[in-house]
Amino acid sequence: MTHRCVASAQGFAVLLAAALVVAAGAVPARAETAVPARNEAFAAGTAKAATGTAEAADQKTIVIDPGHGGLDVGAKGKFGNLEKTVDLAISLKLKTLIEQNMAYRVLLTRDKDIDVSLENRSALANNNNAVVFISIHANGSFRTATGAETFYMSLTDLDEETRKLAYLENNSSQLETRISDDGKDAVKMILWDMAQASYIKQSASLAEAIQRELPALLTTEGRPSRSLAVENRGIKQARFKVLTGVACPAVLVEVAFMSNPEEEQKLIDEDFQTSVAHAIYRGLVSYMRTAGSRPPAPAPSPAPLP
Amino acid sequence: MKTQKTALVAGLLIVLAVLVAVLFRSGGREVIRKSAPAAAGPPAPSPDASAPKPTLKVSVFFVRPSDGLLVPEEREIPVSDSLVQETEAFIAELIKGPTGDLAAAIPRETKLGRVYITKEGTAYVDFSRELIENHPSGTTAELSTVYAVVDGLAFNFKDVKKVFILVDGEERETLAGHIGLDRPFSPDYSLIGKK
Repeated sequence: MTHRCVASAQGFAVLLAAALVVAAGAVPARAETAVPARNEAFAAGTAKAATGTAEAADQKTIVIDPGHGGLDVGAKGKFGNLEKTVDLAISLKLKTLIEQNMAYRVLLTRDKDIDVSLENRSALANNNNAVVFISIHANGSFRTATGAETFYMSLTDLDEETRKLAYLENNSSQLETRISDDGKDAVKMILWDMAQASYIKQSASLAEAIQRELPALLTTEGRPSRSLAVENRGIKQARFKVLTGVACPAVLVEVAFMSNPEEEQKLIDEDFQTSVAHAIYRGLVSYMRTAGSRPPAPAPSPAPLP
Repeated sequence: MKTQKTALVAGLLIVLAVLVAVLFRSGGREVIRKSAPAAAGPPAPSPDASAPKPTLKVSVFFVRPSDGLLVPEEREIPVSDSLVQETEAFIAELIKGPTGDLAAAIPRETKLGRVYITKEGTAYVDFSRELIENHPSGTTAELSTVYAVVDGLAFNFKDVKKVFILVDGEERETLAGHIGLDRPFSPDYSLIGKK
């Protein structure tokens, strides 16, 4: 068994090396043929990006990803509540908030209780040239940990070459001088498997912006009878499968712990869910303002929160 | 013809011996020799001869309930010439779980299949399906499991540089819906809590 895995790891290295050679030679045609090996949604997204006919005057898209769904229930609470249900409830509230206050189109990776593969979640963002990808989750631990945290992708386990490319992409002035536009596309192609590497800086800012709002809003909401406060666990990096292939700034928000009985009660509380949606929304707005991610014209001034 | 065959077999045996020697050579580590086991001969049934085997002190990471971070418990495992055997003994301690106030990082029912270590220092650690089937799921819980294995191995065995976690001999997309298991992990000591 182990032999097969060693072989597949080597195979991956060989593929990556081949892709690098293609990129270095700036032969986009070859690179494109490598893409359909992935799923069709991916290929479609790539074709779109390559032809550049995608958005133009269209509204820009934000993708919200309610974690889990269907048979995949996510973390389970002591009182029998399921993460998937809470993830969807908060995502729907966040979608409404964004649509009411910002000139973005919002797509959900699921709007009901169904299974969606992790690959199709990132593909939805890529196919629609999403400007932001936000995955909503409730946490689980081996005991009673508490708090809210926002994650973005970890690059520690990337190959040296991919990390270098990620660095170049994040320092685009250097990149422009080194590779032509076609070449740049080719570089992007080979990163499908690790597309998120190119957006790591923006993802970090987005995570920071959201995490700044999360505990703040939850604590200042002021419920005398039943506090909605959640401890601040800060921003962290981890290797999330759902984020790896996303070709835009992407974060995964862990709202609170489903595995902690007290927080489980908060998570199913509609006031709490609304409060969390507002917090994420405010973080998103402040990220959009500062990150220079070209708000769609005419730039709307987000309505104040109720 | 026959001599050719014999030569071939002999050649293969040599290659195999070299491979085994390379794979099973373990790095520098802290070996504790209790009393003087020298010239022990056949195990004498004397009362204090029961524990003179050399042991290796290892830090096994478990979950601190309050914040989900990993903190070590000291354990001793038998010293072996085989790095594979020592890492398997280490994982066995990890699965056994904590003795103190900490929480286990791996579902108790999980069984260790095998450890295989490449000469580049990537350890393939194969667990039974209970690792994912009995897992509570959730990002923090998954990170606890992954890095109790990865950080634990890399911290205690300097020849282990990366760890690939397998389940029933196969590569899995994620552990329990969040953390990707589709490539090897480098250690990430940011998940280790201060005492």
